[in-house]
Order: sequence, then structure tokens, then C-alpha cells
Amino acid sequence: MATDNANADGFGEVSRVRGIAFEYLSLGASVFGLVALGVLLVYVAIDAFDLSNASPEWLLTYFVTLVVPFLAFCLYSADDPAVTRRALGALGGGLVAVAVVFTAIESLLVPIPRLNWQLAYLFVVAAPVAAYLTYVGSNGRPGAVGFGLLGRLVGGAALGLAVGTLFLVFDSLVWFLAYTLGVLPAVGLYAYGRVREASRARTAALPVGFLGLVAAVVLRDVIPTYPSDLLIYLWTIAVPIAVAGGLVVADRRGRTVAAVAAGLPLAVATAGGFWATGAGLPAPTVLLVLVTTGVPTAVYVSRVVDVGEGVVGLALPFLIAGGVVVGALVVEAWGVPAPDPWLDAGFVTEAPSRTPANAGLYPAIVGSVIIIALVAVLSFLLGVGTSVFLEEYTPGTGPIGTLTRILQVNIANLAAVPSVVYGLLGLGLFANLLGLGIGTAVTAALTLSLLILPITIISAQEAIRSVPDDLRRGSDAMGATRWQTTKNVVLPEAMPGILTGTILALGRAIGETAPLIMIGAATTVFNPPSSLFSRFSAMPMQIYTWAGFPQADFRYGVVAAGVITLLIILVGMNGTAILLRNRAERGS
Amino acid sequence: MTDSTESPDLSRQSGLTRLKEGTYGGLFAACAAITLLTTAAIFVTLLSDAVVFFRATPIPEFLTGTNWSPNPAGGGQAFGIVPLLIGTITVTVTAAFISLPIGTLTAIYLSEYATPNARSILKPLLEILAGVPTVVYGYFALVYITPALKATLFPEMSTFNALSASIMVGIMTIPMVSSISEDAMSAVPDELRQAGYGLGATKFEVSTGIVVPASISGIASSYILAVSRAIGETMIVVVAMGAQARMPAVREAAFGIPFINPADVLLESGMTITVAMVQITGGDLTGGTLPYNSMFALGLALFVVTLVMNVISDIIAERYREEY
Repeated sequence: MATDNANADGFGEVSRVRGIAFEYLSLGASVFGLVALGVLLVYVAIDAFDLSNASPEWLLTYFVTLVVPFLAFCLYSADDPAVTRRALGALGGGLVAVAVVFTAIESLLVPIPRLNWQLAYLFVVAAPVAAYLTYVGSNGRPGAVGFGLLGRLVGGAALGLAVGTLFLVFDSLVWFLAYTLGVLPAVGLYAYGRVREASRARTAALPVGFLGLVAAVVLRDVIPTYPSDLLIYLWTIAVPIAVAGGLVVADRRGRTVAAVAAGLPLAVATAGGFWATGAGLPAPTVLLVLVTTGVPTAVYVSRVVDVGEGVVGLALPFLIAGGVVVGALVVEAWGVPAPDPWLDAGFVTEAPSRTPANAGLYPAIVGSVIIIALVAVLSFLLGVGTSVFLEEYTPGTGPIGTLTRILQVNIANLAAVPSVVYGLLGLGLFANLLGLGIGTAVTAALTLSLLILPITIISAQEAIRSVPDDLRRGSDAMGATRWQTTKNVVLPEAMPGILTGTILALGRAIGETAPLIMIGAATTVFNPPSSLFSRFSAMPMQIYTWAGFPQADFRYGVVAAGVITLLIILVGMNGTAILLRNRAERGS
Repeated sequence: MTDSTESPDLSRQSGLTRLKEGTYGGLFAACAAITLLTTAAIFVTLLSDAVVFFRATPIPEFLTGTNWSPNPAGGGQAFGIVPLLIGTITVTVTAAFISLPIGTLTAIYLSEYATPNARSILKPLLEILAGVPTVVYGYFALVYITPALKATLFPEMSTFNALSASIMVGIMTIPMVSSISEDAMSAVPDELRQAGYGLGATKFEVSTGIVVPASISGIASSYILAVSRAIGETMIVVVAMGAQARMPAVREAAFGIPFINPADVLLESGMTITVAMVQITGGDLTGGTLPYNSMFALGLALFVVTLVMNVISDIIAERYREEY
């Protein structure tokens, strides 16, 4: 900031060079790590999808059929001439710039391995522009509708697959009895208590549900015959989801529409389930996926049509699916050589193998899903309980205040303990002393729950602390007890924040490897775990094992595919958490 | 018990209500107690096996021994922690050379130079660096960084080496330095900056001459946390650094002054404390053997070191914080 002081002796003259140099140095430092990570991610993606063998024609085909329509949709949704101009300018100018710079580097300096200028354009220009337009487009109504629908389709499918996976280790017959004898009567009593204002019925719901669960475990081996798995899932999961969806719609649109919105996906799912039985597919999983995608989608579509704005956005999934199909047809007809990606359907549905081409991640994915489900339940309950105790139940002063401070310091220190030490705790305490077994899913889940517990607690505390005190005082003034205030006022207000923190912490748990090695998780398993006490492997464990194989096909192909799978799951989880937080912030 | 719809229970003293309140309060307290139990359990688990280990291997021998071979083929176990310490220090110091300057500059940029818009984009993006699973970083180091360094700078580098592992550890710990330092710098009141400008200082002089000294306690505590994280880092070094507990060759410079060539340590495979623990798990895990116990002794050393560093970081942040 040189001054305009025009003194002849140079008083107040300041060199700008140093300041500007420093500013750019610090800017460079800020993006150094991100650029390094970005380059590594580009290479891992190229390896996983075998893009270095993709012909320019192949890239062009999919660019025209898939990327261009998507960008056009975003631009249409944003509906802003300035954005359109900027995006087209970046795409066009970037094309020239990347081609020139890339050729210059290749011819003058060093050849860049496994990268051509088309790929560089895709990653350096097209991907950031697409990300920017996705963001801008999702602010417009059609874009919001389109991405909302897409999110429900993808999220629903992921949820259905995850629930289906859980039934590999949990006995579906016990669940059938527990649902029929425990959950259903308890929910019924609770609903009756709500509607009729009978507090005794509500209080009775919990004990009744508990008795039902006990009865289910006792009766499991007494009852000789059970309905088929497909019927059990239909009765215990599909019907409740459809009913819940129907109730949501009924609130807005009346019974006829609700019956259609809930009944149609249920009918489709049931038909799909029976068709899958005939076709030799895992029928229960097909049923679950169809229900968990169909019902939320139907509810969402009915709401969008009801609101009447941005209905065009509903076409987005068809646009993308159509782009993939047309692209495949063109590639087929043109005879263009296509890449052979490592990360394909076979990779996520097959067991590991000694030969790179047959290697799959399926048992490891199942192991990860089961562990994360257990960790989610454990760390959520413990985290919420602890943070409620620290924030709502303890005074700031006196002996209990001191205890609270000790707990607080202790939690902060636990958060900084290296994860490998938690692994030793799991090995010494859970695996050997308590006899839960070396390398079993239970041991892993308990260890990882303790590992992420401090993070869960700290974020839950922040969420609870951000609930305004006026709400608590208001509830107190109505004569509510402490538990009633917590349950009816504090927790509902803080829930989005708590869920966000928990999901972010789970993202940490799913990538942890060192504790799993310490508790003796299997480096490779060929079958998914069949019970909570069987040996399992997890995605990061499998990646670790493969990374140690010397063959280039493993190093540069199979592991890259595993890394991308893990990162996609992580991005999905963290994206969900961020969406939750944004929605809560917009709501309040 | 009175029915709440007819005559409200203002005293909140009905038996059922009291039972409910007490039950929930107790449940929450039990949850909170689990965090204390965890700390106690870590201590007890580590200590009980470490004590058995130290009975067989005296502490001085453990701390000064220069040979680490828990499961030798031909017999003659040795448990000397010095080679492991050299490995750990190598990784930590090299990583610190990357994460501390870059993290500090990032914090200065975010707090002093960046527009609010740029900050709101950069800050969450930087957190991504800490969120990538460490086994993925290890894979990056082994498969991309090492070949790239080998092709350009260090042709004599071995496949498993300390340098690429340290680079990845450094990048991973950047956000730890930058976020805590940035918090400390943002807490410096604007009056101090305005006073600097009033005296004719440039933005550069205000940033480095006023803001950084005023937030030095926060910056120092962020350094300690980042270093303690680097000490405990496991997967990056396990995947990329290999597992050879080596003592580097001591060379002689002019006048017989002994020195260690950094290239001997950085470009070769090595072993950190965490790698040693992971390597032992390849053997017997049911307990009762000396290598099994040694794992807990190493864990105890690691736990104590990181705990002490965290406490020091807390004390620095608390005691030397300027109150404005």
C-alpha cells in the first residue's frame, strides 16, 4: 500500500514488492495441500477407471451425450445470462489454454505419464465448471428438484442395500418375531396414547416393546415354521415404510393421493421381489432397494407436483440415464475402443482373488457396513447421553461442576489419543480379556465406537449448546421436568447438529485401519461375515492388504478401484451430513 | 397417581415421574462415566502388559538398546527402542518441515488476506485434507509420490522410504496447524491492527509484526498438536515406509566429527514405533508372549508422549494467551 505522498526525499515511500510477494506466497501455501491432493485424486481416478486407455473418441462421445446435457440442465436451472456467459467462456477458453499449456510442457519439459490433454481438460476445466454449475444450478428451482430426486434415488438405493446387508448377520426370524410382538404393539400403544391423550398408554409402550423383544428371543426356536424371507421383509420393512410415506402424503394431499403414492411403489417392489425369486436374484434385497427408493421418490414427486414449481427438474434422472444409454449405443455402433475400468460391477460384487482381474471388494464392503451400523448406534447413544449429561444435567459450579470440567478435559485428551492405541485397548480388553474374539465384528465395532466417541460428544455438545436458553426456560415455565424439557425441546432442536456431527465422525471410523489391524481383523476374507462373532475384513483393511502386493495390476488397478470406492462412500456420507446441516440452518 | 389431563401435577413429585427422571438422569451419568472408564481402561490395559514386559526387559535396556528384533528367525530377541525413535523422529521432523510453515502461512492468509467469500470456500476444503483416510495417503505415497521422486530428484531412493511417507504426513497435518492458528489470529482484536496501520505499517508488517506475535500461544499449541498427531500416525508409514528397524550409518566428516547423512535415513526404509506395533500383530495375538507384551510397552510410550504433548499444548494455550 504505497502512499501517494510525493515528498522529494522519499518519506513514506514503501516498497510494495515484499507485501505482494508475501500475499501470493501465503495464497500458494493455502492451496498447496489441496492441489497436491487434487493431483493424486486425478491419478487414482485415471487408474481406477482405466482412463489412460480411453480413446479421444470415447471421451468425446460421453462428453456430448452425458456432460453437455447435464451442464445445459444446470444452466437452464440457474437461468442467469451472466453465469451462462462465464461458464461457456471458461469451457471454451480452458480448451485452448489446456491444449496449449499441455503441449508446451510435453514438448519442452517432461512427458506427463498416463495423461493426455483431453483428460487434462476433463479434470482441470470441465470438472470444476461442472461442480460450479451444479452448485449454481441447485439454487434454481428446477435444479433443486432434480438433485433432490437424484439424491432420493441414490440414497434410497444405498439405504436398501445397507439394510439388506445387515440381515446377513442378524437373524431375520428373530427380527420377524421382535417386530410382530414388540415393535408393532409398542408403536400402536404410543400412537394410541398420542391420539387419545392417554399418558399411561404412552408410558406402557416402552415396557411392552421390551417384553416383546424378550419373547421374540425366547420363542425363536420354539416356533417350528416361518414365512419365507421375502414375506418377512414385506411385512416388517416394506409395509411400514409405505405406511409412513403414505402418512406424510396424507398430511398434505388427502387419502386417495396418499394411497396411490404409497401403494404404487409397494406394489412395484412386491412384484419386483417375486420376479427376482424367479430370476435367481437375491429377492429380499431387490424388494428392499425398490421400497427404499420407490417410496421416498413417490412422496417427493407428489410434493413437487403439488407445489407446481420446477416440475421440469424431475427429468434430470432420465437425462442422465438417457445420456449413459445413448453414449453406450454410439460407442457400440462406432466401434470406438473403450477403457476397461477396474472399478466395475464385478469389483463390488465379487470376493478377493489372487488374480487382479477377478479381485473384488464385496466381503470387505459387507464387513464395513456391518461395523459402521453398530458403531453408529453405539456412538450415537453414548455420545448423546454424555453430551446431554454434560450440558443439561450438571451445574457449572460446586463439586459436580469440578467433575464436569474433569470429564471435559478427559474427553479432549481422548480425542488426541493415537488410533493405534485404541487398537491395543480393543485387543487387550475386548478381544482377550472379555473374550469377544480376535478380529470379530463386535470387537471392531466396540473399539471404533470408543475411538470416535470423543468427536461425537464434542459435536453433540456444540449442537446442544446452540439451542437458545429461552426455549428451555419457556419449557420450564410450563411445568416440564428436566427430562421432558430435554426430550421435547432441546433434543429436537439440536438433532440436525447432532446427526451431522455423528455422520462426520462415522466418516472417520469407516476409514480407520490401524485399530482394525491391532485387533487382528482378517487381511482377506472370501465370504462375508455370517454373524457378529465371525472374522471379518473391512474396506480399508483390504486396501492395506492389496497395497502390499507387488504386482503392478494390483498397485495401479485393484487398489485404485478400492480407494475410489472408499472415497465415494465417504463423500456420500459427508455430503449427507453437510446437506442436513444446511437444511437445518435454512430452517431456523 | 393423578391423570395429567384432569388435574395437572404441578409438584412434579408423583412416583412415576420421579422414577422416570431418576432413571434418565442415571442413564446419562452412566454414559458420561464411560468416557472416564475408557481412559482408565487404556491405562490399565497398557500398564498390565507393559509391566510384564519390563520385568523381562529392564527399562534402561529398552530405552538405550539399538537393536529391535522381536521375532528373529534364529533366536536372540532384542527390544531396543532407539531405532524406532530414530524412525519416528525422522518422520515427525520432516513432516513438520512441511506442515508448520505451510499451515502458518495458510492461517495468515485466511485470517488477514482472504476475502470472506474465499475463506468460506477454503476453510472447509482444507478440512478435507484431514478427513481422507490415512491408508489412502499411504497408498498415494507408495504408488505415486515415491515413483515421482525417484524419476526426478532421487534416483537412488528405495521403494519403501521415509521421505514420501513424511511428505504425506505433513500434508495431512496442515489443517491441524492452520485451523487452530487461524482461530488464534482471528481472536486478535482489530484495534491492534488499526494501531499498526496508524503508525504507518504495511499489511505485511501488521500480519507478521503484530498479528503473529499476538497469537503466538495459539500458534505454538497448534504446532504441538500437529507434531503429536504425526508421532501417532500409523497407516501412512506402515504402507509407505516399510518395516526395517535400522540404525543409520554414522560417517565421519573432516576432523573426525561424526555425522549422519540425512539421505541415509530419508531415502531408505525405516521403522517407527507405530509400525513396530503393527508388525508384531502379524504374529501371535492371544497374549502371553514377550513380543505381545512389548506391543503394549510401545503403546504405553506412545500414549504417554502424546498425552504429555497435549497437556503442554493446553497449558501454553491457557497460560500465555493474551487476554484482550
